Amino acid sequence: MEIERIKKSTLNHLSMEAGEILKRVEEDFPDNPESMKYFYDLLRKVYCYRERPSDGSITIGTMCLQVPEELIYASGAVPLRLCSGAYSFERIGTGPMPARSCSLVKATVGMLRLVPDFYRDSLKALIIPTTCDQKKKAGEVIREMGINVYFLELPSRKDTEDGRAYWYYSVKKLVDVMGEITGRRLGKKALFNAIRLLNRAREEFRRFYQLRGSVPPPIYGKDAIIVTNAFYFDEIGRWIESLSRLNKELYNRINKKEQVSQRHAPRILLTGSPSIFPNLKIPLLIEETGGVIVADDLCSSTRLLYDPVVIDETASLDILLGAVADRYLRPCTCPFFIDNTDKKRRLLQMVRDFVIEGVVYQAFSGCYLFEMESKSVAKALESEGIPMLYVETDYSPEDTGQLSTRVEAFLESIKQRRRGLHI
Amino acid sequence: MGSIKRLKQFINDSDINRFRTYFQVGAFFLLIYGGYLAIDISSNMPTFACPFVEMRGGTCYLWPLQHQMNMEIRHFLTGRGIGVLTGFLTFLFLLILFNKAWCGFICPLGTVQDWITKLRANIGIRYGTYPEKDFKKINKIKYILLVLLILLPFGIANLGLSHDWATPYCMICPSRTILPLFSADLSQLVIDFSSKTKVFLTGLGMAVTGIFVVGAFAKRRFFCLFCPMSGLQYIFSRLGILRLEKDGSRCTRCGNCYRVCDVGIKEIADDIESRNIVKEDCMMCFKCVSACPEERCLTVKFGGIAIYESTERGFFKRIEKKG
Repeated sequence: MEIERIKKSTLNHLSMEAGEILKRVEEDFPDNPESMKYFYDLLRKVYCYRERPSDGSITIGTMCLQVPEELIYASGAVPLRLCSGAYSFERIGTGPMPARSCSLVKATVGMLRLVPDFYRDSLKALIIPTTCDQKKKAGEVIREMGINVYFLELPSRKDTEDGRAYWYYSVKKLVDVMGEITGRRLGKKALFNAIRLLNRAREEFRRFYQLRGSVPPPIYGKDAIIVTNAFYFDEIGRWIESLSRLNKELYNRINKKEQVSQRHAPRILLTGSPSIFPNLKIPLLIEETGGVIVADDLCSSTRLLYDPVVIDETASLDILLGAVADRYLRPCTCPFFIDNTDKKRRLLQMVRDFVIEGVVYQAFSGCYLFEMESKSVAKALESEGIPMLYVETDYSPEDTGQLSTRVEAFLESIKQRRRGLHI
Repeated sequence: MGSIKRLKQFINDSDINRFRTYFQVGAFFLLIYGGYLAIDISSNMPTFACPFVEMRGGTCYLWPLQHQMNMEIRHFLTGRGIGVLTGFLTFLFLLILFNKAWCGFICPLGTVQDWITKLRANIGIRYGTYPEKDFKKINKIKYILLVLLILLPFGIANLGLSHDWATPYCMICPSRTILPLFSADLSQLVIDFSSKTKVFLTGLGMAVTGIFVVGAFAKRRFFCLFCPMSGLQYIFSRLGILRLEKDGSRCTRCGNCYRVCDVGIKEIADDIESRNIVKEDCMMCFKCVSACPEERCLTVKFGGIAIYESTERGFFKRIEKKG
């Protein structure tokens, strides 16, 4: 009875939390594209009214973006990324997890502890790639709660042939595991179709990624985050369609020289810890203060959808699996890997491609990986003359006041610099 | 300007591999049956236009080269030496023109390997790859063969080596045994028992032929890693007008170019420093360019003009067509 009461009040809190954020997202910005309505409504349905799809298909939960979703689709199941951004859930996760662990992990554990069927009824298993220690250990806690957890072993290095071989082996093992869970053997044709399906989503996303970075920007970054967050649980075909509609609208906006934000709003790149709805604290702060996030390098957004699977020969299952495996390892810039030169190179390339004026690096308190990496990222950016604002934060709204002052000062300093350069 | 742009986009959207397949068939017919049309492109071609094919449309440079090396050292500075020089210059000219694309687009033995690869893929068997360490060792063998094919004939004229060592490389080259088969000539599929050396060389040749067929079935472009012509080309490859360039800053090191590479060049994915990315085993098939999803990361240039570039749009177009 007690647990039912907690559940009810937590879901009420979440509904309020999400509702408030959606209200800000929609009402504080007068120039939102029409086609974003689909995504706002979707989030409202899921978080505020808890409407869940019930097509009866097997659901496989994932944490982190290294889980090859092609294998899940090809086995006739549906992937569901469970990383949570809800402060309401974080409070539930604070019991089983150490106080200093990061908000994202606590929130996810909290959600699975209280409402494992939050998104869908049929969660059959949860696949956790062995990335950071917190996710690994959280996996054990989640397993004790009675959820079928499978650890997908990921090498610490992605740049060596040994690491690559190890990963191939892990992915092949996952094929067997998926077979056991779904009772279906992975077929070549099914895998091929899954690759095509996901590549379609990535193709549409990359169009969006380019449009979004146009000068001047046709859409806010908070919307980009919402679009990619929707990918976690939306039916993929519908998601592609909706994004395609949005892309067309953005394309027209660019042609008509319409833009969001004030003229010459500072162009910001957001990186570091992932932003997952309803935790849009930092993005909203930036954009409500007059900046525009025109690009991001978050594993919750761009990194999730940017890279396609590249297929060459299609006649053998093994070759297709290798192509899928490569996609999830090689271009990945997760800070857990040894050596983060690729991450820095990516950021610098984005800075050049999208005329970035400043970088905001958010790190959740307790995430030492992002915290440690931030120093070298700041240095790399500095060498190109790009200022970086490092913010340590979490899901609680308490630090909002303090952060808003810092963000404001950062944006102001960018404008100052610009004036200085123009004179 | 608009039409040039459109043409460029059309080319970048296309699948170079398909074009290459057709081109190879054309080149194959020209080099194997060109003689029927009285075609003789050159006697110093930087590709395996095998002299054992009767109605060929040109001749592999290694053939005259081995003959020329069978010459006393003092003759090198006479009129015969000039012959050596003009032969080499012709070879060099042709090489500079198309660089290593002679391997990927023209070489008949390469084409045969690609056909075997297609057969294998259609059966649904996966290809094999070398571990990195072995690869590094194996791809040095071609230089040993190159040195031997020059030194052995030289030894005949200057050190009294048996005449059976003339054209030693041709004796073991799978082109000699396999390419004549396309004009129904089985005469090279024998072991010559006329002398010990000949037994050794032709016996080795037969063994290599067997290994070639099995190897090409198991690994893509299996023989090319051992090819002395490829080694000779690479020495002068930097002079080539046809180039493959990489913009390392655009590379995500996703590794796809490396995975699709038939000759297994790892640097294509990992090297983010070099602009010229034609490595020693590269055959300039440009599969890497069509597999690259990054805008202008890989570029094929002819005389400084970009003729084929990796583009996001082209990449997704090609992927959609697959299957």
